Amino acid sequence: MDDLTKDRIEELVDYIMKHCLWQFHSRTWDRKDQNVGVLTKTRQLLCKERVELETPADRCYWADAVCLVEAFRHNYPWLEKMDKTETAALINGLHERLDFLTITGSLNLELTDQHY
Amino acid sequence: MPHHLFKCSQCIPEREKHAVIKGPGEDLSHALPLGYLSTIPGSISERGCAYCGAKHVIGTPMKDVIHLSHGPIGCTYDTWQTKRYISDNDNFQLKYTYATDMKEKHIIFGAEKLLKQNILEAFKAFPDMKRMTLYQTCASALIGDDISAIAQEVMDELPDVDIFVCNSPGFAGPSQSGGHHKINIAWINQKVGTVEPKITSDYVINYVGEYNIQGDQEVMHDYFKRMGIQVLSTFTGNGSYDDLRAMHHAHLNVLECARSAEYICNELRQRYGIPRLDIDGFGFEALSASLRKVGLFFGIEDRAQAIIDEETARWKPELDWYKERLKGKKVCLWPGGSKLWHWAHVIHAEFGVDVVSVYTKFGHQGDMEKGIARCEVGALAIDDPNELETLEALEMLRPDIIFTGKRPGEVAKKVRVPYLNAHAYHNGPWKGYEGWVRFARDIYNGIYSPIHKLALLDISKDAIPTDKGFVTRAMLSDADLSDEVRSSTTLRQYTGKYDSLSDLRGKTYPRFERRPAKVA
Repeated sequence: MDDLTKDRIEELVDYIMKHCLWQFHSRTWDRKDQNVGVLTKTRQLLCKERVELETPADRCYWADAVCLVEAFRHNYPWLEKMDKTETAALINGLHERLDFLTITGSLNLELTDQHY
Repeated sequence: MPHHLFKCSQCIPEREKHAVIKGPGEDLSHALPLGYLSTIPGSISERGCAYCGAKHVIGTPMKDVIHLSHGPIGCTYDTWQTKRYISDNDNFQLKYTYATDMKEKHIIFGAEKLLKQNILEAFKAFPDMKRMTLYQTCASALIGDDISAIAQEVMDELPDVDIFVCNSPGFAGPSQSGGHHKINIAWINQKVGTVEPKITSDYVINYVGEYNIQGDQEVMHDYFKRMGIQVLSTFTGNGSYDDLRAMHHAHLNVLECARSAEYICNELRQRYGIPRLDIDGFGFEALSASLRKVGLFFGIEDRAQAIIDEETARWKPELDWYKERLKGKKVCLWPGGSKLWHWAHVIHAEFGVDVVSVYTKFGHQGDMEKGIARCEVGALAIDDPNELETLEALEMLRPDIIFTGKRPGEVAKKVRVPYLNAHAYHNGPWKGYEGWVRFARDIYNGIYSPIHKLALLDISKDAIPTDKGFVTRAMLSDADLSDEVRSSTTLRQYTGKYDSLSDLRGKTYPRFERRPAKVA
């Protein structure tokens, strides 16, 4: 991954960390579901793909994703200049980085606690 | 992000793992304070107990209930005028507090008879109240009183009453947070699903983790009602016992304080398929995004946008008046749990203050993850601090103000640092657009109060100036402002009423055309 992409991913991560709460549910399985749910719909919205809204949970992820996409477009104008392939790759990179910070690299000892 | 060991805690080296400083270029994978552990022996904690967390934080804000503690009378002291979770039924839950008043003889001979007598007396004394919450305490738990059996006996004898039993004695967790967990799970196990509610809207939510501190819940209800949303229940501020028994019929759980109430949201999600939407009710940008998300969920985002536009136009010039005068002021953000992350970024972005430290008394590592991620580089994050550590931190950081509870707040005042009550507020409500300006006004008044200039002088050694007269807040706050800001015709101080709630209580709301929710 080139330095420019890394920097851009860090900007998006910083936005999510400072403005969002969905990425910090209390257990590993829950954080995985949240990150997949919101970021998949974020990518679909940015790439103008069909977004599934079959369940109440889908609509909840979608509501978070719509606000995230609006904020991304407003704060990071370079996003509009990227084509679909580049955008999808960027969001996949963002997803990997967020998974690391909130799940695989997290130092939160409660994430794997069996007792909720 | 190196760990930080306070000098005063060198004799308790385990404390080092409970504090970190956010360094440049570092992230959450570098260091995280330990959290939600039993307080280390030798460290005098500021925490509350698990009984306090269950009763005084979550149970008692329910408004139409007799809240009875089975234990020594001292356990229930915290209710009387020390909390500010008000209600629209003349604050019944604050005005009356009940304890069985266990004595030593009851420890020896048992207190079940005493409990039953107290329950019956309480219902007789307040015949209009047909609901009760009953709390175990350390004393009654240790002698094994079966409070559930007594509650059932009474319900059998008085069929029109309903009693909720909370088994969360003080020792049932490392802090009040253990009690939050226990009462969440007890409520869903015992009570949710036992009442069928009247549904009056196509859009139905539970508003969860909201305790109506100085009216916060009523402010947020106003927004939801203006969107045509039915708030089926509030867990638990200004909430009604029977409404909370019907939580299973909502379409969406809107969650504010995840620290105290995510458990019931997660259970409602697993058992009933109701999704959980975490929101921030504090700050213009965060609140606007929150209302918009709720609107999007139901397909009524246009109604949310109308509120956002109207409220922002009304209150933003007042917010910005304070921001100009608060820029660069150093803040220690030392609340109990969730406000460390609700506020860490938004007070920097919207008030212009710099958060130099965050701490949590009873938060978990997840709260620290959110808080540290939201504050700026250089901030000192502390878990479960003791009083000597807070004094050392104040000496090291020299904040202009701290936001904390009344116990550490009074300590801060002694070292001449102004404080605002982060739990109960000064002149709340602080939620909502107007509320956020009220918070800014309280910060302004705290930092620029002329009394602090006088208090900083030590008459035993400082020369007392006799050539200067008394100064005003404006003289202090406006000294370094540009002419453009000082003479601005758009910016203005808070112009709301002293009482911002009364008008809401008598308000009527528009009837919207039926538009079925887009909920799948």
